[in-house]
Amino acid sequence: MTNDTQDLVEQVRAGTSQRVRATARLMSLVENYPERIPEFLVGAADWPQARMVIGLTGPPGCGKSVLADRLIRAFRTRNPHNSIGVIAVDPSSPFTGGAFLGDRLRMMRHASDPNVFIRSAATRGHIGGLLLGIKAFIRVLGLAGCRTVLIETVGVGQNETEIVDVADLVVVAIAPGHGDAVQLLKCGLMEVGDIFVVNKGDCEGAAQLYAQLLAVLRLNANGQGRRGADSCLVSALHGRGVEELVDLLEKRAADSEEAWRSRRRQTMVDDVKEAVLEEARQRLSRRLGTGPLATKDFTRILRGEITVPGFVDELLQQLTGTGEVKDHHGGG
Amino acid sequence: MDTRVSETKEAKRIPQRVLIGKVGLDGHDRGAKYVAHILRDGGYEVIYTGIRRTPKQIVETAIQEDVAVIGLSLLSGAHKRLLQQVMDLLKERDASDIVVIAGGSIPSADIPDLKAMGIAEVFRPGVSSQSILETFASLVKARRPAA
Ligand SMILES: Nc1nc2c(ncn2[C@@H]2O[C@H](COP(=O)(O)OP(=O)(O)O)[C@@H](O)[C@H]2O)c(=O)[nH]1
Ligand SMILES: [Mg+2]
Repeated sequence: MTNDTQDLVEQVRAGTSQRVRATARLMSLVENYPERIPEFLVGAADWPQARMVIGLTGPPGCGKSVLADRLIRAFRTRNPHNSIGVIAVDPSSPFTGGAFLGDRLRMMRHASDPNVFIRSAATRGHIGGLLLGIKAFIRVLGLAGCRTVLIETVGVGQNETEIVDVADLVVVAIAPGHGDAVQLLKCGLMEVGDIFVVNKGDCEGAAQLYAQLLAVLRLNANGQGRRGADSCLVSALHGRGVEELVDLLEKRAADSEEAWRSRRRQTMVDDVKEAVLEEARQRLSRRLGTGPLATKDFTRILRGEITVPGFVDELLQQLTGTGEVKDHHGGG
Repeated sequence: MDTRVSETKEAKRIPQRVLIGKVGLDGHDRGAKYVAHILRDGGYEVIYTGIRRTPKQIVETAIQEDVAVIGLSLLSGAHKRLLQQVMDLLKERDASDIVVIAGGSIPSADIPDLKAMGIAEVFRPGVSSQSILETFASLVKARRPAA
């Protein structure tokens, strides 16, 4: 099978029998060669997009994957024709680079449903890179026809919660048995949540935790006057409260669909800007390293013969004057 | 200063992705988990699918996760039929480039048949972690011509 981005994009878009494989291959390209992510922006303006991108985060073991399984089921039952994509992120071992990706284990009953695409991803060391990758994953899943995308990440610190920046709305899950609501929502979880879920409603302490959560949310709403967060008590294992959660998600989508769409469009424009700056930076960097303006020329600045902006002017002239600016097609 | 350039100059090690799971009706997954952890510690990204999976679930998962290798644990009995189904489904889905390895209590007399079927390797009970890692490494390497 081809490894060419545009070929794969066409296969995903066309929805041929190769679609699933091509989707998976594109995601691998994103993961393995993040420097190629800008290729995914070329012509992306008319890619179909997901309607709702949900981030699902919370401490390890609180039941996110089981809840994800339930959400998939609920979305598939409500809209049998709509596809759903899931991205399940787990940390890589900082020592070996390996990872045990076990989220999917909880969602295996959907494995042979052609309308469910699940992809596990390891953090591979740096969250910043992953952030870019997840954005590309979301776009690829949209292209593959997913109306809903669900991203599961472990929320244990600021870095991890950054991943949910790419989501339209964020569900924060906590569960009894690991401290009170204030403790559980430290580390930036409080700030990122749109909907707060107390899971394991069947376990001892769940009702208390939920009461604490409501109190914390009230305090927070008074303090900041931001849009009120929703909350609910669920038992993912037994499927209780999940329909209420889906109702909350659907209501948010109905209210904000347009705003989300334009926010994602803006993000895409921002990403293009970043890609352009990066390309320019690399070209300038190459020119500085090897061209007639070798490093020793920097001393001209140190000697006061030329200013920094003047030097950059010269550099840019050299760059455009010598045909380094290649003739790329399809811009616009 | 220019970390990005030096990063791309270094040969960047891309972790290999593998699927480890168990097909068939039997219960425990000690063997599969053991292999999964050895591979994780050996630098692989292991998609763990758990026990009692159908060949179809395994193949669809392997395709979505774009793994290089599927490692399946089976108890003797239906192993031949189940592995044949996995191989057939991979072919049907145009994904025969994914390497399949089997393990578990498979009678050694069956190994030639399984190899003829296209199973790349069969691990017997008691196989060492080193030999597991060596086998995976050489199969992954042999699989990667281009890219
Ligand atoms: N009692 C109970 N256990 C649950 C519930 N949801 C999940 N669990 C269990 O919690 C453990 C961790 O679940 P998992 O979804 O993997 O958590 P994650 O790490 O947040 O993804 C598993 O053993 C689940 O069976 C629930 O609603 N009630
Ligand atoms: Mg999980």
